[in-house]
Amino acid sequence: MSDIELRNVSKSYGDLRAVDGVDLSVRDGELLCLLGPSGCGKSTTMRMISGLETPTSGEVHIGGDDVTDQAAYDRNTSMVFQNWALFPYKTVLENVAFGLKMRGDGADERRREAGEMLERVHMDGYEEHSTTDLSGGQKQRVALARSLAVDPDVLLLDEPLSNLDKRLREEMEIELKDIHEEFDKTFVYVTHNQDEAFTLADRIGIMNDGRLVQVGAPTEVYRNPTNRFVEDFLGDTNFVAGEVTDVGDRHARLSTAFDATIRIPAFEAADPGASFTVSLRPEFMRIRRANGADTPEGTAARADGTGGDTITGTVENSIYRGSSIRYVVAVGGEQLFVEQSVTEQTGIEEGAEVELGWDTHNILVFHPDGSRARAE
Amino acid sequence: MSVDAADSVLGRLWAPFEAQSGSRRSLLLMSPLILFETLVFVVPFAILVRISVSEQSGSLPYAEGTFTVASYAEVLQSGLLQGIIVYSFRLGIVATVVAVVLATFYAYATWRADGLLKSALLFSVVLPLLTTLVIKTYAWVPLLAPNGTANNLLLAVGLLSAPVQVVPNTLGVVIGQVYIVFPYAMLAIYSVLSTVEWELVEAARDLGAGRLRSFFEVVVPEIMPGITVATIISFAWSVGAYSAPALLGAGSDRPFALEVQEQMLLNFNWPVATALSTIMLVLMFVSIVLIYVVLGRFGGDLSDAA
Repeated sequence: MSDIELRNVSKSYGDLRAVDGVDLSVRDGELLCLLGPSGCGKSTTMRMISGLETPTSGEVHIGGDDVTDQAAYDRNTSMVFQNWALFPYKTVLENVAFGLKMRGDGADERRREAGEMLERVHMDGYEEHSTTDLSGGQKQRVALARSLAVDPDVLLLDEPLSNLDKRLREEMEIELKDIHEEFDKTFVYVTHNQDEAFTLADRIGIMNDGRLVQVGAPTEVYRNPTNRFVEDFLGDTNFVAGEVTDVGDRHARLSTAFDATIRIPAFEAADPGASFTVSLRPEFMRIRRANGADTPEGTAARADGTGGDTITGTVENSIYRGSSIRYVVAVGGEQLFVEQSVTEQTGIEEGAEVELGWDTHNILVFHPDGSRARAE
Repeated sequence: MSVDAADSVLGRLWAPFEAQSGSRRSLLLMSPLILFETLVFVVPFAILVRISVSEQSGSLPYAEGTFTVASYAEVLQSGLLQGIIVYSFRLGIVATVVAVVLATFYAYATWRADGLLKSALLFSVVLPLLTTLVIKTYAWVPLLAPNGTANNLLLAVGLLSAPVQVVPNTLGVVIGQVYIVFPYAMLAIYSVLSTVEWELVEAARDLGAGRLRSFFEVVVPEIMPGITVATIISFAWSVGAYSAPALLGAGSDRPFALEVQEQMLLNFNWPVATALSTIMLVLMFVSIVLIYVVLGRFGGDLSDAA
């Protein structure tokens, strides 16, 4: 068993609270990504799992044992560093065998085991090379082999791919996923890159400002965020603020900066006058040429009938992004981003009057304090 | 193995010259340096060697125009002079080991410190360099003398029942000499250590190396160039030490620098003084190559290399 449990863990440096009361359990054999902007405390959290940092308060448990006060060299965790931290005065083989040597394995055994591990990461043939001659991807593989060689209960990866170019990174992502399946160990992976997190993770823990904001499967955190920060941090979205004007049985209406109201699901808290922020994901919005006759009032009226809202605006800019086109649409003084697959050729040009539409169930509503407003 | 190592060391020493030899331009650029070296080192040294193979003279420092190796024979056969050579090397080895070990720990502490403490540690190393050698060496006398500060303090506290004779004594010489070379040794090591990434130590600890183990496995191989320089500076200076033995020594145990001075200025026996100097120079050269070779071998995986 090598599940990890952090209980109310905090870490302060002087007045700076880098990690603030984090409760996290990582399941045995799971690959959990800690995702967040730089300075959010994700690396510090991981370093406390490794033992390289000691929590100011709280407890760290690995496999059921309290390891809070155990030094890094007494814990059976192993870390892959962002800059790989390969020993420059040792050969590739000596690097990989280092942990085995510290464990007291004999020279022959070290050589054999480290050799096998190098073969696993496709670095056989480089045994006697100096680590300083290797490319970034090769260093990455050696660092991975060095950490896996000691057969750790938990493998910790601190932004291991951030120094690689995009293509190599994507290749290594797949390989890491394979290795995770093959070795069946608990992995904790720290990154600020959400593509990496979505590709690799069984579950993602999103951190902000030293706190763990939400933990869940990739689809869970993307489609069902618990607060505005998560919605904002993952992917792109349009936030639209507004006030409730009237409340119906199943829906309420929100007056916005646009000259149009938006229909939102009715909440208990949705009294007239209450403020909310609505998130409209660019990929959930539809765009089409406006049929000139529509007025804002008419749009709203039609929306009432069909179940989804539509508003009109002017295309300010269209950005070709390879697999999709992004339109920047000006609506009542605000800018909205709309994303459309290139396969849906609409032939919309800059300056065109367009009609934007979406389904009410695709919009998320947040309270002014950032927490999610949920339908009853 | 050792032959290979020696080859590679000589090769490494020679490589810069070999790379330059083909280029007239670089020779031209080096010419001021070559001229300077010739004037201040090669010519005086040639004169010194010439004197060392002259006959001794009753009335003059040496007999000009004569040739004999008698002075070398005298130096090598004299028990007194052999004792002086051995004493010089013992002083050099002891002072070097103490200074380099202390300097390594001090440099490590400075490396790991931050903020005001780091500045204070660095500043207190540089501070003694601002004072004259003679004054700061003499400062040890009132401190270490039988009725000096250190003895009085230890007597008052009750740690000593009778004063300990440190100055004038060999112990005092070692303390004084370590004090003289320590800043240079520390700065040589620190300059290399400050470029080492702390992450390497963290990686070693993460892989199961304890504090000492990670220091010897990861930090020491990295800072070996600094340790080598520190060792060579300390050793060369300490073997040829003059002021610490002159000011803090007992007079009975004399290193060669004092003996050379006595032979030159008191006995007017220049052939013996220069022969002793030449022999010391050769021995020093051999020692330094040896230090370079031995320390150079520790640049890799310590126990795998053995």
